Amino acid sequence: MILWIIYAQPSIYPINTMSLTLSQRLSLKRFTKGEEAHAGSITLNHRRIFILPSKGGLALAMVILLMLVASINYNNSMGFVFTFLLAAVSQASTLYSFRNLSGLNVSLAKAPPCYAGSMGHIKLYITENNNRNRWTIHASHLHKQTNFDLVGDTSLLVNLPVKLKTRGWYSPKTITLSTQFPFGFFRAWSPLRFNEPILVYPSPIDFETTLSISQDSDHLDGSSSPLTGTDDFAGLKPYQQGENYRHINWKALAAEKGFYSNVFSAEQSTQTWLDWQACTQLSIEDKLSQLCFWVLRCEKKGTEYGLRLPKIELTPNHGARHQHACLKALALYGS
Amino acid sequence: MEASTIKSQPLQPVLVYLLVAIGMLLIAPHIGELNPSFIAIGISLLIWRALTVKLPTLLPVKFILLPLSIGLTFFVFKTFGMSLGRDASSSLLIVLIGLKLLESKTARDAQAVIYMCFFMLITPFLFDQRIELAIYGLIIFFMLLFALVLNNTHTASFKNPPLLRLSGFILLQSIPLMLLFFVLFPRMIGPLWAMPNQQSAISGISDTISPGSVSNLALSDETAFRVRFHGKPPEQKQLYWRGPVFWDTDGFAWTHVLPTPVNNDTKPTTVPDTSYQYTLMMEPHQQRWLYGLDTPISAPRNVQITNDQQLILKNKLDRNLSFDITSSNNHPRLELSKNAKERALQLPKNIDSRVTALATQWKNTNPDPSDIIRQALSFYNAEFYYTLNPPSLSKNPVAEFLFDTKRGFCGHFATSFATLMRAADIPARLVGGYQGGIYNSVGDFYTIRQADAHVWVEVWLEEGGWTRVDPTAAIAPNRIEHSIDVSQQQLNRNITFLLSPSEGLEKWAQHVKWMVNSIDYYWQSAVLAYGPEKQLEFLSNFGIIDWSDMILWLSILSGVFVLAAVSTLFIPHQNKDPVQKGYLRLCRKLSKITEEKKPYETTSDYIDRVITAKPTLTSELNIIKTLYLKTRYGSDNQQAFLKAIKQLHISNTPAFFYTRTIHR
Repeated sequence: MILWIIYAQPSIYPINTMSLTLSQRLSLKRFTKGEEAHAGSITLNHRRIFILPSKGGLALAMVILLMLVASINYNNSMGFVFTFLLAAVSQASTLYSFRNLSGLNVSLAKAPPCYAGSMGHIKLYITENNNRNRWTIHASHLHKQTNFDLVGDTSLLVNLPVKLKTRGWYSPKTITLSTQFPFGFFRAWSPLRFNEPILVYPSPIDFETTLSISQDSDHLDGSSSPLTGTDDFAGLKPYQQGENYRHINWKALAAEKGFYSNVFSAEQSTQTWLDWQACTQLSIEDKLSQLCFWVLRCEKKGTEYGLRLPKIELTPNHGARHQHACLKALALYGS
Repeated sequence: MEASTIKSQPLQPVLVYLLVAIGMLLIAPHIGELNPSFIAIGISLLIWRALTVKLPTLLPVKFILLPLSIGLTFFVFKTFGMSLGRDASSSLLIVLIGLKLLESKTARDAQAVIYMCFFMLITPFLFDQRIELAIYGLIIFFMLLFALVLNNTHTASFKNPPLLRLSGFILLQSIPLMLLFFVLFPRMIGPLWAMPNQQSAISGISDTISPGSVSNLALSDETAFRVRFHGKPPEQKQLYWRGPVFWDTDGFAWTHVLPTPVNNDTKPTTVPDTSYQYTLMMEPHQQRWLYGLDTPISAPRNVQITNDQQLILKNKLDRNLSFDITSSNNHPRLELSKNAKERALQLPKNIDSRVTALATQWKNTNPDPSDIIRQALSFYNAEFYYTLNPPSLSKNPVAEFLFDTKRGFCGHFATSFATLMRAADIPARLVGGYQGGIYNSVGDFYTIRQADAHVWVEVWLEEGGWTRVDPTAAIAPNRIEHSIDVSQQQLNRNITFLLSPSEGLEKWAQHVKWMVNSIDYYWQSAVLAYGPEKQLEFLSNFGIIDWSDMILWLSILSGVFVLAAVSTLFIPHQNKDPVQKGYLRLCRKLSKITEEKKPYETTSDYIDRVITAKPTLTSELNIIKTLYLKTRYGSDNQQAFLKAIKQLHISNTPAFFYTRTIHR
């Protein structure tokens, strides 16, 4: 038992990363939350890996104690042998728990941006450079968790879903890699914090605000009109996230064809300005959501669109890069 | 997407089978020791669980399982009472492991079952600590470790060499620390609390001797004790291991009465010329006496030497212990006290008139007691037979044996001889013990088996004091010359004392037997006997004399050990791949010719560059290049590649100059 406790202290010799001050070293936060957030990859070493008996390990300690009492009571040599062997095995298992984590290189893969209110993904890119097998490592972030093995492979992408509530930059909280390998007596864990925020776009919501047209002087052809009309039914198209539910074609849904929404004919301009001023009656967040919806809609239709926010103007264009630029501007509005 | 934690994952069928197998193996050593009903219950529960893997509908629901558990636990307590002794706890564990396994659905349950199995693993050793059983236990221990790994990695197959290797490696790695604890962990004398009395079998000579009582031992090959002499051992026929001394008889049996404590002043003042020092390595026989030669003159403090030269312990011997004893073959010339003389002459009330008549007749014809003895022995020699299957005796065993049946073995001869002597006014007493022993030349010790059990008589002679007389020897002198080999004895037959000379195969077999015996000896004396006394004795060689020293050294050494183990984690990872090693060696060799391999160069490019630098090696290097590519990216060709590298000789100096000039 004493040995366990001695060994449970993480060694405090920095190897390849910057050294810590004494107060940082002794800070309890380091055990649970991890060190300062880090950009790029982190190699797990003795400074970042902690180890303590798990619940199963405490139960084992009870078993060992019982075995010891029985051996003492009967003065039984073989009883002592197996009691001490079990204790020694549990001591040795700490090395293997540690080795199961140590040397792993962890970085956050570029996460695709996502919309507020949806599930995003934290992608851990884990590489193994020591030519060792890694068994049953548990990755957790907030309350989401997943297990993975690295047997015979050298790298792995681990996906941790995360609920994204608000737009803007989302910084992942502490990601904990832990393992109870090999026997479940000890839990070795390594809390990691990464400085790799995920961009969260506003959630696209159609408030059915009519887009008041603001045309460019170059395109005075008078052909522009609201982006989507509500006049004449023109057919069905797959439902797009954020569209008004009133446009869902319920007949199609009832026929188990899936989500389709009605499309109504409307005249379109080939170049549209999506303007902050267009949705005056909405709150700021709703405005952003509406604009976000329009951006997606325009991109889908192939319309060239520009975005006008207070102090920000993106000239009309289209394509994935432009869409991202627009959505990013919306996501980071006000921050 | 949310993964459940590992602990609540369902059990793999493979693990269920493994645990059932382990359960069976754990129950097996208890067969014959425990109440058969518990063994049957345990085995049926395990079989039930094994069947449920294929037929999940058989899994018991809670309302069956709960009453079943309560019922079975109640059954255990009803059988054994509330005290959890050795038998009770083993039985309870057998039942509980079966029940818990039956209930197990998740990895967490399996973990609990495995923990119970670890505890269960030490219970057979409370009954028996043979070396075979220890190895058996070690195998189960390994299986349990593997079960733990399977459980914690959720592997669905046995065939997992990395995990098997890992379990084995951890086990091996743990042995040094285990040994350290085994040697240094302070042992306590006596139990922590009194355990319910176990009916441990009393083995060997018992505390009553009736004419037929030794026959049950005569065919037993079990070891009674072992002896190692320090110095020259006595002759084989002098090896009379004296145990209990019997003074009192009721005509049927002789009873051993523990002597009252005596002061040890009666020790002979002069050290005799011939003394034997030996270490007695006792098996637990649940009696208070030890076995010694002739007259013990010194013994460990916990052993008392009585006036009649018995070695008496304070408590019953319930574990393997060893004793250093010195014996002299000179009999102490003490006066026979009046009390002792009366006791040694007392005749049973039911003594037959024929016995007294015969004794009186001898006494009248011979004035000298030693002549009476001689005449008595020739009486035995003339008419008596030695057999292990004597006719049964009823009312008056001594007379019936002497005058009717005339067939018997040492018990018959000794009891009747002692009675005759007493009837002839010669003080006599009975001594139980062992005669002889098998010398093991491999381990340099004697093994004394139960089959060597023997009973003889000591008579008081004015000129010589207590003198050993072995009436059995009068019948079969070979009985004294050699030990009887049990394997040659058969029931219902007279014993032949001819020993066939061991030759060829038999000699080898004998040798193997000695080896096994030696291993067993060291096992007994070094491992099993390592108790509080032996620990102190052993550790005092290193200057460790009490608990605090032991704890201190235990902490220091285990600390050092753990630090050493931890430090292995920081040794840079060595590349064990032979091809990679060979390749590095090749690079070192080639770097003598031209500059080292640049990071951007492929191996083929590099070798080509070397070839341009040293065209004389073109063919060799081309072969190496092909072999390297083959080993790395194609079929396995390791040996050829490594061999080619070995054979590549680069003449050092010219190449050195050559490269210099090229690169300038």
